[in-house]
Amino acid sequence: MIVIHPELCSGCERCQVNCSFFHTGSVGRSRSRVKVVKIEELGIDYPVICRQCEERYCTRCPESALQVGPLGQIVASPTLCTACGTCETLCPIGAIELYNDIPYVCDLCGGDPRCVAQCNMGAVEYVPEETETVSLAPFKKESRGLSPEEKRVRFALDRTREMREAWKASVGE
Amino acid sequence: MLYGYGGHILRVDLSRGSTVREKSDPAYLRKAIGGRGLNSWRLHDELPRDVDPLSPENMLLIGVGPLTGSLLSSSAYMTISGRSPLTGILGDSAAGGFFGPELKQAGYDQLVITGRSETPCYLVIADDRVEIRDASHLWGTDLWQATSAIRRELGDNAFQVAAIGPAGENLVKFATVACNNGRMCGRTGMGCLFGSKNLKAVAVRGTHPVTMADPLAFLDLSRELDRRILEHPEWQKRHDLGSPLLMNALNGIGILPTNHFQKGVCDYVDKVSGETLAATHKVKNKSCFNCNIHCSRYYVTREAEAEGPEFETLCSYTSRIGVDDLPFALRMASFLNRMGMDSLSSGETIGWAMECFQRGLLGPEDVDGLDFTWGNKETVEKVLDMIVRREGIGDAFAEGTRSLARRFGRDTEKWALHVKGLDVICGDPRGIKAFGLTYAIASRGADHLRAEPFFELTERYDEAERRWGIRDIADRLSDNGKAVLVEHTERQALLTDCMTMCKNIGLSMDVLDFEFAARLLRAGTGLDFTPERMNNGLRGIIDADRRLNIDLGIDASMDTLPYRFTDEPLEEGPSRGQVVPVKKMVKEYYELRGWGPDGTPPSK
Repeated sequence: MIVIHPELCSGCERCQVNCSFFHTGSVGRSRSRVKVVKIEELGIDYPVICRQCEERYCTRCPESALQVGPLGQIVASPTLCTACGTCETLCPIGAIELYNDIPYVCDLCGGDPRCVAQCNMGAVEYVPEETETVSLAPFKKESRGLSPEEKRVRFALDRTREMREAWKASVGE
Repeated sequence: MLYGYGGHILRVDLSRGSTVREKSDPAYLRKAIGGRGLNSWRLHDELPRDVDPLSPENMLLIGVGPLTGSLLSSSAYMTISGRSPLTGILGDSAAGGFFGPELKQAGYDQLVITGRSETPCYLVIADDRVEIRDASHLWGTDLWQATSAIRRELGDNAFQVAAIGPAGENLVKFATVACNNGRMCGRTGMGCLFGSKNLKAVAVRGTHPVTMADPLAFLDLSRELDRRILEHPEWQKRHDLGSPLLMNALNGIGILPTNHFQKGVCDYVDKVSGETLAATHKVKNKSCFNCNIHCSRYYVTREAEAEGPEFETLCSYTSRIGVDDLPFALRMASFLNRMGMDSLSSGETIGWAMECFQRGLLGPEDVDGLDFTWGNKETVEKVLDMIVRREGIGDAFAEGTRSLARRFGRDTEKWALHVKGLDVICGDPRGIKAFGLTYAIASRGADHLRAEPFFELTERYDEAERRWGIRDIADRLSDNGKAVLVEHTERQALLTDCMTMCKNIGLSMDVLDFEFAARLLRAGTGLDFTPERMNNGLRGIIDADRRLNIDLGIDASMDTLPYRFTDEPLEEGPSRGQVVPVKKMVKEYYELRGWGPDGTPPSK
């Protein structure tokens, strides 16, 4: 899976830009499979991308349009998908989202993720052997009714807690 | 289909509450390219010349360009323009961050905002849905609070917000507009313009991807530029320190403003340098949209945390006013950001007051009992708060240094360091002659970014010979050939603004030449940009700015520098004995620009 190191992330969105371009030939957040959350007043920049979670919530697709691929990535079938949005609702962290009736989720670019290649901060790392090692059950709670962006913000806040604690410790607070 | 461009202009009349979405005119775009150029032509063509800067009729423009929000590194910028409340002439200020790319994704090239809302409002743009919303409850909030409150209210943290703070609301003439809390449109008082329209913020969210005419050619060119940036000899230092690297760099050549430019060498620079900032308070790098330098920084101290500061802010609140306390400067930087007030212009009012105190031209009785002794931090903090609230003498300070000095008269005007009402930036022109010329002729007043003739600092003598046939161009202390350099880099700077790239990259690092830029623009838009056509367009914009400024009251006598820089040689350090022979340089510049001896461009 793709591992994020928020303490190294500058928030430049090169991961997002290149993801979108590689898959669609154009650049835009809505067409990217990784979306950077920015919470400026806390210094947080956090790219949210599929965690290949233990639970695989999105694969409970009523049309079986989402399957786990050989690299642990999610594979979406354009023929089976009816754009019902169940996957978007089920994902606790907003890592899969529809745009123009197409679900956008990380496919690992076939094993050579462009987001990793274009991040020169070392904040986005590909660790192929790690898959289904993260449980998103704690985030599933109370995620009902939240938009994908709200879920991403919640996840980003959680995943940057240690970074913020380290910063505070560094100035002796 | 119009590639690259957003394709629409949004006209908003806040008096009537009307919004009109027009299709962009390709012929106009080709002439103006985008960003600052697009704003300049719009002002030239549509601004009523007798408009009071604070009246509803003044125009508030936000422009982006054909490559904004694209695969191109640092294609992050947007420019805000209008008649400046601070200077009375052309006002504009650009910032990176993420607002520009979002505006593009919403399908716009430019916002044209006129009128004045009766009550505080903010503008919400979500693709083609535009709404003017009440902001009464946000009036009085600081810039960061306003940004997060708006995102909360709209239920979407991905909205990009350009907002003002209390300084803009209170019509401080050098109020700023910020996006992403810390990316500032700092100069010429565009935040005051927002305030005069009762406009707290513009929030934008776009879902349309940016599509290039020839995506694969554009990919190749973008990768080539990425490579040029990454292999640049300055990459590491810019990455580690960002613009504060200039504290030590300028001190080393004796041009670091110290005690209001009385000296160019600061003996405590190590306490307030970019290196010290990075070593003590920086916790991580920050970045504008799609940049591979990540030159910005996030800092945390016991008292404050924020993105920044950039060099101009750091210098303005340390050596320029005699302060050797870095955590104090960081706290002021964060205060200024929250209040939405420019560090350069506010810092100059303070530096001017300190100089006048030293010379006995002003005393505590003139300024509500404040003690403007060099480095008096208590006074600095107090007066900033008074300026934001326009309380007591702060009300006069809030008008800017030129107006402030006029109010006191006596000999104080001599020490007000501005050109055309815009305060001089933190770089002593006596040791960088092309910059001196730039401050004198720049269309928004004493500004470096209009030409940023960084080349003169590089000592690339052979390169100077090859490009312009004048070796002295690479010698910062020589005035020979500097008009040639400035005429060239002024076009390059404008091009960078039109392409909405970062000037550190497009200009200072010298990685973007006209030929390469034309290829980028062709691949991006499919329009037949050539270096020649582009340069004609750029010259046209520079002339249009000049014609507008002449209409707004400038003349050749204002293309000069404050007394200090022309008549008072630096007394010590590596730029000792230097002044700027500005008259001669301006004359050469007029000739190269094709302007008459009175600084008038040929008619349109």
